[in-house]
Amino acid sequence: MSFRERLLATLRGVRAVLDEPGVMVGGSQVPNLLQPGAGSTLVVSQDVDIVVPVEKHEAVRQRLSRVVGLKPSREEPSVWLPERPELIEVNFIGMDAGARAGETYVFEHDELPLLVFGNLSVLRLGAPVEVDGQLVPVPRPAGLLIEKLSTDRSGEKGDRDLLVVMGLLLVSAPFDIDELEALYRTLPPEQRYAIRSNLSILSLLGPRSEMPDPVPHRAQLARLMARLERAEPA
Amino acid sequence: MTAAQRELVRRMQGRALVRAWEYRQRDHAKGAWFRLRRVLVDAARAFAISEVDADRLEAQGLRPVSIGRELSPEKRIYFGTWAQIEQLEASELEVRLSAELLQSTAIVLLAHEIAPAVAGQPEPRRVDGG
Repeated sequence: MSFRERLLATLRGVRAVLDEPGVMVGGSQVPNLLQPGAGSTLVVSQDVDIVVPVEKHEAVRQRLSRVVGLKPSREEPSVWLPERPELIEVNFIGMDAGARAGETYVFEHDELPLLVFGNLSVLRLGAPVEVDGQLVPVPRPAGLLIEKLSTDRSGEKGDRDLLVVMGLLLVSAPFDIDELEALYRTLPPEQRYAIRSNLSILSLLGPRSEMPDPVPHRAQLARLMARLERAEPA
Repeated sequence: MTAAQRELVRRMQGRALVRAWEYRQRDHAKGAWFRLRRVLVDAARAFAISEVDADRLEAQGLRPVSIGRELSPEKRIYFGTWAQIEQLEASELEVRLSAELLQSTAIVLLAHEIAPAVAGQPEPRRVDGG
């Protein structure tokens, strides 16, 4: 069974949650879903993030009984584990529009506690992706690019996470980059610096198996870096 | 809150503090790696050259980028034209923070804007089979 099939089967399993307005898929699987036919050729992690706005927590909780094929982890109830090998793990994570970049806190709840990440506050719901007849809500690329470039990371997993940014840039339209710049201008200086630092790391990465190769796109990354620098306050 | 969540929050809060510190230190030694990467972002190709060739480039009016002087040992890093590079005995490097690049004391870079125009032209003279 391909990773694409497992990802899509998992999204069908959590369809009841994804149908709640405002909830969306986040993280590294978004570029997989944005590929033509949700190709899912990028292999970063064997799980999928479901972004839950904190104001939707109760509505999502009420839908959990309709999740099929997954059950909450006893140790970490925000992580739902597959009951069948053809599914992948689901992480419910919290988004708080009022949270500061870099802020992290726990939304306490017995049944569905959420780790809330301030970096997710830049996500905005985009046009849903239609895959095999299912509408999958995903964020607009600009916010996800900001979020992925803002996250501290290291090692092989960190490199692959940054290559997800490359994958997102390759499916982004010019207006997504305009939106990225507009969002960038609203961020605090230390986050803007972290974004430029991570972009420089991405530009110097070599190819990895089953990930987009940044080398042929280094000129594009240089232009993006220059554009972000021009957006810096004088 | 589970122990795992508590630990993750603690680590994330620690990272936020480190990021704030790194930002405050950006103009000092801590920011040198970013400044070096930033120079390399603009380079389509990189070549290790000898000190003699570096002197030759300076005689032609090139000035090294400032980040090279912040490193120890110092590096002389230039942006050159293809016409300048093809006159040198140059060993091409991958444009990344590789051991080869970090060990090179003189480096000439070809900017992205110039690289497409020289695609397919003869390569610079090589040294040591590089």
